[in-house]
Amino acid sequence: MRFNVILRYAGMVMLYVAAFMLVSAAISFIDGMDSAFYPLILSALLTALLGGFPLLFVPKIEQISNKEGFCIVVGAWVMACIVGTFPYLIWGGEFSVINAWFESVSGFTTTGATVLNDIEALPKGLLFWRSSTAWMGGIGVVMFALVILPSLGKTKMTLSNVELSSLAKDNYRYRTQQIVQILLVVYFGLTCISTLLLKFAGMGWFDALNHAMSACATCGLGTKNSSIAFYDSAVIETILAVTMTIAGIHFGLIYATVVGKSKNIFRSEVTRAYFAVIAVGGLLVSASLYVSGVYPDILSSLRYGYFQFVSLLTTTGFATANTNLWPSLAVMVLIFASVVCACAGSTSGGVKIDRMLLFGKLVKARLRRQQHPNAVIRIKVDGIIQDDEALGSVMIFIVTYIALIVVGATVNTVFGLDLQTSITEPIACIGNVGPGFGAVGSLDNYSSLPVIIKLNSTLLMLMGRLEIFGFIQLFFMKWWR
Amino acid sequence: MTGIRKRVTIGFLSIVTLLFVSGMISLFELGQLSNDAEMLMSKNRRNMELAKDMFEAMYLQSNAMAHIAVLGERDGYDTLCLNGLVRLETSLTAAYDNSKSNGYLDSLTLSVAELRMLTETFLANVRDENAGTEDENALTAAAARNWFSTRYETSMAKISEQISGYIAFTYKGLAPRAEQLSRNAYRAVTPVLISLLVMIAIVLMLFYFVMIYCVNPVLGINRGLADYLSFKLPFAVKQECRDELQELKENIETLINISKQNKA
Repeated sequence: MRFNVILRYAGMVMLYVAAFMLVSAAISFIDGMDSAFYPLILSALLTALLGGFPLLFVPKIEQISNKEGFCIVVGAWVMACIVGTFPYLIWGGEFSVINAWFESVSGFTTTGATVLNDIEALPKGLLFWRSSTAWMGGIGVVMFALVILPSLGKTKMTLSNVELSSLAKDNYRYRTQQIVQILLVVYFGLTCISTLLLKFAGMGWFDALNHAMSACATCGLGTKNSSIAFYDSAVIETILAVTMTIAGIHFGLIYATVVGKSKNIFRSEVTRAYFAVIAVGGLLVSASLYVSGVYPDILSSLRYGYFQFVSLLTTTGFATANTNLWPSLAVMVLIFASVVCACAGSTSGGVKIDRMLLFGKLVKARLRRQQHPNAVIRIKVDGIIQDDEALGSVMIFIVTYIALIVVGATVNTVFGLDLQTSITEPIACIGNVGPGFGAVGSLDNYSSLPVIIKLNSTLLMLMGRLEIFGFIQLFFMKWWR
Repeated sequence: MTGIRKRVTIGFLSIVTLLFVSGMISLFELGQLSNDAEMLMSKNRRNMELAKDMFEAMYLQSNAMAHIAVLGERDGYDTLCLNGLVRLETSLTAAYDNSKSNGYLDSLTLSVAELRMLTETFLANVRDENAGTEDENALTAAAARNWFSTRYETSMAKISEQISGYIAFTYKGLAPRAEQLSRNAYRAVTPVLISLLVMIAIVLMLFYFVMIYCVNPVLGINRGLADYLSFKLPFAVKQECRDELQELKENIETLINISKQNKA
């Protein structure tokens, strides 16, 4: 493995991060040189130096191995998270080393969990930096690097193997360069449209841009302490709910739908399942709220129920209500949403609808095989037969996912957290959702958790973002041939 | 990609820049921290001086008032009494300027205003023993003594208590400000620490790159040349970069070819 090659490509990602720090510093400058200006400029300088240095020495490499590709992607994520702490640490305030690391990882992994008690105390430059980390994380730090990677062919493919889940790649049917372009067009377009709509719905430009960036990245980092509940506007909630729903769909399919291709959102089995889950799940939560008398009328129940369900299903984590006060059925459905999450090929995390769909079909096939032992049963998604390796990996992923949640929950109980918080905290972190229940509820934050739990949470966030095995592989490089 | 000299120069310049930046940040932040600490101390000292001044003014005023109300000596003491009051008010204004508005100063201002009203009303109504004229409406000596021991002393005790409260508040205020100062100290050190960490990373990278792009190729060329000269093994050295070392390798190959041609 060539360490210099890893340094070169991870360095390119650092340069992108530094560019976003400069944009945030510009926001700070426009805001009358607020207190974030100096921390952001200094961080940009240090990050650019760190990222640009390997480019001086390491020549352009045409071919990189799978192993190197994995290291570049994971290394870039971790490095981005590390340099992402610089502006927070230099600014000070509530940011200790652990808090800054938590906030940075939460942003880059699009989790959207926060340790800040007073978000509104942050200067605009730093608020924009928070949203930028989410936006960069959403598109994937490596996807950014792919656009400017000078080498062609295998290099890009190797990197995207790690960044995109294998299920997502099946649906694309485009070359890697096109994938990158599609991702960027859809992502940028969605952010712009969402910003404009939020502005017209009554938000200021700054808040509209930040919330649009956060919604498109399915992150949930906002600019207000009480999240979206601050605005108390059904129009804003509807715009955000639609944005989150779209951001939870496979980006290749969104592009195909927009350009009028036959293989579009409405023909995809996965997307149909996604919409069905939204319809049924949202209805269940709303019905539970209405029957329990949490909201006096059906419309209010539907408004809050659907928004919160979509927010958790897409792993965004915006909040319009304190879900800790909701009835048990609603809470259970919301926990289910936090585990299942949205579609592969979107910016969301979690198990994903695709895997759940395959899991359901596997269970069905198992039952049929018991009835007809000699039958040859094929499992298809969108008419494509899924091979045993893909099915096996889905099962392994789901089992590992659940095992990690159990381990996380056990660690939490060791440190004295209550059962509800202990169980929902790892679900919220590994699924990159953000809010859980109990002490980490929709309108609460992670500040009260012990340091070890905070570190454990960041580990789960990174694992979730890199589809678990992408991260675990890093520790078994020695045995990788 | 540039030449070896340029790359190494830029590498070292980066380190020097970082060192310079770290140094400047330390100077700037520590300077600011020192200013903050100095300002905190001087403000605190000034508050103490003002409180002392207030007590002295009170003593002056109280002493003069005792002469007027208890001993019945008005000659010059009414001026002294009013001067003490003015001095108290001046100290109070200065205290406001020094520490902005706070609860203790607000109530102290109110009490001093009450005291002024009380004093002025008393001075206007008290009988002047030396004047020789009798005012029927004027306070008798007994009534003046009574007024002094009840209303005046109560008012003075209240003001005295409020000044003590102000001193205590100033001391209490030191703790959070000192804590803020320690947070500022942490903040002052953080950028320097981060710069140093980045510098260490760059130094390690420079060492690594110099090893693989400068030292190792030179060692490889040297080994290849030694093998050729000692054992007549072909000179085959792998090079990744197209820089001066690549040129050196190519020149050696040309030299070997010329030497072979000459021998033939």
